[in-house]
Amino acid sequence: MRGDVAIVGYGRTPFSRAKPEEPVLSVDDYIAWAAELALSSAGMSKADFDGQGLAVAHAETAHTVNWSAATAENLGINAKVLIRGDQGGASASTMLIRAAAMIKSGTIDRVLVVGADTPLRIPSVAPGLPLSPERSRGVFWDFQGPFGIMGATAQFAFVYQRYKHQFQLRPEQTGKVAVNNRFHATLHPGAIYRKPFALEDYLQSRMLSDPIRLLDCVPIVNGGLAFVVASKESARAITERPVYLLGFGESNNYYHGSRSQPDITTTGFAQAVPDAFAMAGVARDQIQFFQPYDDYPFISIMTIEDWGFCDKGSGGAFVEERDLRFNGDFPLSTDGGQLSGGQPGGAVGGFMPLVEAVTQLRGEAGERQIKGATIGASCGFGGIPYGRPGRSCVSLIFGNDL
Amino acid sequence: MLQRCGQCGTYNFFPKPWCIECGSRDLPWVDAKPSGTIYSFTVSRVVAMNYPAWERELPVVVALLNLDDGPRMYAQVIGCAPESIFIGQRVVACFEPLGSGLVIPKFRPQTDESSSAPAGQR
Repeated sequence: MRGDVAIVGYGRTPFSRAKPEEPVLSVDDYIAWAAELALSSAGMSKADFDGQGLAVAHAETAHTVNWSAATAENLGINAKVLIRGDQGGASASTMLIRAAAMIKSGTIDRVLVVGADTPLRIPSVAPGLPLSPERSRGVFWDFQGPFGIMGATAQFAFVYQRYKHQFQLRPEQTGKVAVNNRFHATLHPGAIYRKPFALEDYLQSRMLSDPIRLLDCVPIVNGGLAFVVASKESARAITERPVYLLGFGESNNYYHGSRSQPDITTTGFAQAVPDAFAMAGVARDQIQFFQPYDDYPFISIMTIEDWGFCDKGSGGAFVEERDLRFNGDFPLSTDGGQLSGGQPGGAVGGFMPLVEAVTQLRGEAGERQIKGATIGASCGFGGIPYGRPGRSCVSLIFGNDL
Repeated sequence: MLQRCGQCGTYNFFPKPWCIECGSRDLPWVDAKPSGTIYSFTVSRVVAMNYPAWERELPVVVALLNLDDGPRMYAQVIGCAPESIFIGQRVVACFEPLGSGLVIPKFRPQTDESSSAPAGQR
């Protein structure tokens, strides 16, 4: 399926920390705003999607289970095909893959892909209990919360702690990733945190759940993103700068080793990445930038390893040795990532690496533009299984030329 | 007590609707060994996504441990200073009542005295 579809437009709304003086926008408002930005970017209108595809990421603030159909209704689009992404931060990437397959089959020609959430506006399940619906039922409610698990940060801390036990990872190395992301955020007008910080600030930020610190964590925001994907034939008619999906790979519920006692230091990217490279027909050293799903700096580092940019266990040394800036030798999270950009909900942050990859390949990244970018990679990573990192891992390789 | 697959003998935790190894729905609950080895851990210093009453117990030490019968589970480790937790440490279960007849398993570092929990506490 190499190059069968291309992204022809994208949008990212401003994000909000829901401060008292700010206007209050609903998840539907953010969906429409993001869609408007993407359509404008593509020079298209909503009428272009009647009889075509609409893809919608799940949201904690979705007010119905039929979220994709309800969104079609809210947007007044008579979609032939609905795609729903429910794989957390992998949703944007998996929706692109599903869209590509439906386009390749000839069922439809194009898909408007949207995702938004307002996690800062979720009413708590009980007074004084700051729990979202996702944390107040199921496996987290029954087998994690009562056992002392302090949310996502604790869940990931186990992975980080085990990684440090098997390999090596110093806070100066994860700190470099955090500092680098914040540097890029100073060059991205939409990032929620744009004030640079130094490694010292990172090292002194308080420990939340050993070994994860405050400056290891993404700021939660309200916001939305969207993109438009079309067949390669239509893409050329729609835009002068199509960004082709050259290769993809997907892995869900990966066990590294046994099912009962897996090695949690290797993610499903190890399984997904070879498919992406095989489809794209590119070599690893042709990848000119890397947009991982950076929910924690150590996850960016593990992702780099599992993509094979370095040996397992060498990720810390790798980021230490490389220049991670947009004009360096391994541009990483050039939009500031979610670490400094913000995470607009558990299923929507995954749009950000994808949108940044497209932005770079269209030459629209302004002050943080990588010169001469022609091939790059982004990741989707989503869902927190019990005791392991990431339920879904998606590898995407894009290029602006076939 | 844990689910042990009637077909392949795999112990499953957290409880599953069929055996994650072989797919059998024959998953009776059996007595399990109340001991394991710490595979990873964290020391949480703030309460997050949880009841505020946990503030009283901070810092909270939670392990991800390999039960001797096979599956892996999260559990709070008590009776041990946070600095002395280590990967590979042997721990044994104790059961704290939560009220209404419910108990929650927690673990303590294994010592000679704690290595066999009295019967009736499982």
